[in-house]
Amino acid sequence: MGPLAPNEIISENTNFLLAFFIGIAFGWVLESSGFSSSRKLAGIFYGYDTVVLKVFFTGAITCMLGLLFMSLFGWVDLDLIYVNPTYLTSAIIGGVIMGAGFIMGGFCPGTSFCGAAIGKIDAMVFIGGLFIGVYGFAFTYGLWEKLYFAKYLGEPKVSETLGMSDGLFGLFLIIAAIGMFIVAEWAEKKFPREEY
Amino acid sequence: MKPLKLLALFVIPLGIIIAAVPPDRVKHFRLTADELLQEAGAGVQFVSPDVVADMLVQKDPSLRLIDVRTPEEFEAYSMPGAINVPLSNLLADEYTDILNQDAYMNVLYSNGSVYANQAWMIARQLGYENNYVLEGGLNYWFGNILSAQAPSQTSPNEEFALYDFRKSAAAALGGGGVVATEGSATAVKAAKPAVTSKAKKKPAGGC
Amino acid sequence: MSNTTTKEKSRRYLNPYFGGVLLGLVLLAANFVSGRGLGASGAVKSVVATSIQTVHKDAAETMPFMAEYAGSHSGSPMKSWLVFEMLGVLVGGFLSGAMAGRLKLKVEHSPKITSKRRLIFALAGGTLFGLGSQIGRGCTSGSALSGMAVLSLGGFITMMAIFGTAFALAYFFRRNWI
Repeated sequence: MGPLAPNEIISENTNFLLAFFIGIAFGWVLESSGFSSSRKLAGIFYGYDTVVLKVFFTGAITCMLGLLFMSLFGWVDLDLIYVNPTYLTSAIIGGVIMGAGFIMGGFCPGTSFCGAAIGKIDAMVFIGGLFIGVYGFAFTYGLWEKLYFAKYLGEPKVSETLGMSDGLFGLFLIIAAIGMFIVAEWAEKKFPREEY
Repeated sequence: MKPLKLLALFVIPLGIIIAAVPPDRVKHFRLTADELLQEAGAGVQFVSPDVVADMLVQKDPSLRLIDVRTPEEFEAYSMPGAINVPLSNLLADEYTDILNQDAYMNVLYSNGSVYANQAWMIARQLGYENNYVLEGGLNYWFGNILSAQAPSQTSPNEEFALYDFRKSAAAALGGGGVVATEGSATAVKAAKPAVTSKAKKKPAGGC
Repeated sequence: MSNTTTKEKSRRYLNPYFGGVLLGLVLLAANFVSGRGLGASGAVKSVVATSIQTVHKDAAETMPFMAEYAGSHSGSPMKSWLVFEMLGVLVGGFLSGAMAGRLKLKVEHSPKITSKRRLIFALAGGTLFGLGSQIGRGCTSGSALSGMAVLSLGGFITMMAIFGTAFALAYFFRRNWI
């Protein structure tokens, strides 16, 4: 019965070891999908490469379906799965700042590590920037503290907020994603770019 | 076939299935039958009424009394500070956090100990901890704590000590008209079951 | 995909839907094993916290950031799930690049701008992302991807904020990319 670590079926050290191997798989999939290239990543915002949209949403849907079905079969206890907390103010402000960072830097932390692993210097510089940003946050914490803890709503799920079951929301998400994929494929035909 | 079509063909039916399945998740048993038999056989869940009386007198904050009888019986009489979790409705969502926790020592009671024990077995099988059963239930509580009987002259000293304790406890708890003697509630050195604070730790995540 | 060269190059990458399914399975494994999803910025936070603590042992008393970090992480700050995961990411990314012949030390940039300009923006973008990920309690991997998979409201909001902002600002940075 999963999840394994919270149910103490595996020890903390085993959990960390598996984290390493899961990380290897994560890095491998990201790089193989092209996420080590900043130009491919930025492509979604200009229509010429929608790999981010496709991989991202397909990944989220696959995992979501996986968890829901595993819960149905009694293989995993969803109550013990971490659901990100909702701090309304910081979620939005942090997201906006990250969005700016994304369009300027062309990376996000996970993909920058992939890029750096294959030798992309711009990825390495991006990682340097990450550290500067985090140190900056650490030393100016007082500025952010108030908004960091503002509007805590607990750990609600979107399905709860909308008053529907997890499964039903999942279905809507799937349909929305497929719709976006269709638009994405149209966009790629309309905004082609030379090789990058 | 185009990859998108293949993907859609696969995930949309799965989505429909998962949307159609009723959202109430089944609560699964965590303990095996053998494990439960062992625990139930050893009687680890029972807690002596003297221990409970002592905790009530000392106003021990870790004690939480849970009445598993019907709401009507609960209204008629309940132990000090008790809350009502009727056995018939034991698995309702509203009671999950009460039964599945590690902050309090839950002591379940009913008139005898049959219903409280049944509630304990179900909760235990779901993997919940820190639930106990009041030995003898309310019947014993009334008969032997609140209306403690003086032992005969030839009884050993321990019985007198116990009697003194019970009388004082009864007085403190507003029991049936007993006169408190000079000896205040001599602490009955009964072993309090250790409340293990082993919780199913929800993992921390994020970032 | 208009010309053959582009077609060849993209064939060397996985089909995005297939890659997505694989990513979803990795994320599912992470959830099943550890009860939490993937992440990245948290590892950077761990390294930062460790470095501060090494230089200044009682940092938790003077810096509220360190106190908050210590409150939610017991033990050594480097012994965190994300640190081990990100070490794996480096290895996995390297392996994939090596297998596909993509290992090359270079600055990737649009032919219309210089390397220098790309690196300046990379640094600026990284700094903003570092700051934003701390405020937003996660990055695209931890908050958006993992959050979406567990239907977290906060995760969805952060994701929409990230992509919405990037789309809104895309016009102003178009010279860097197209």
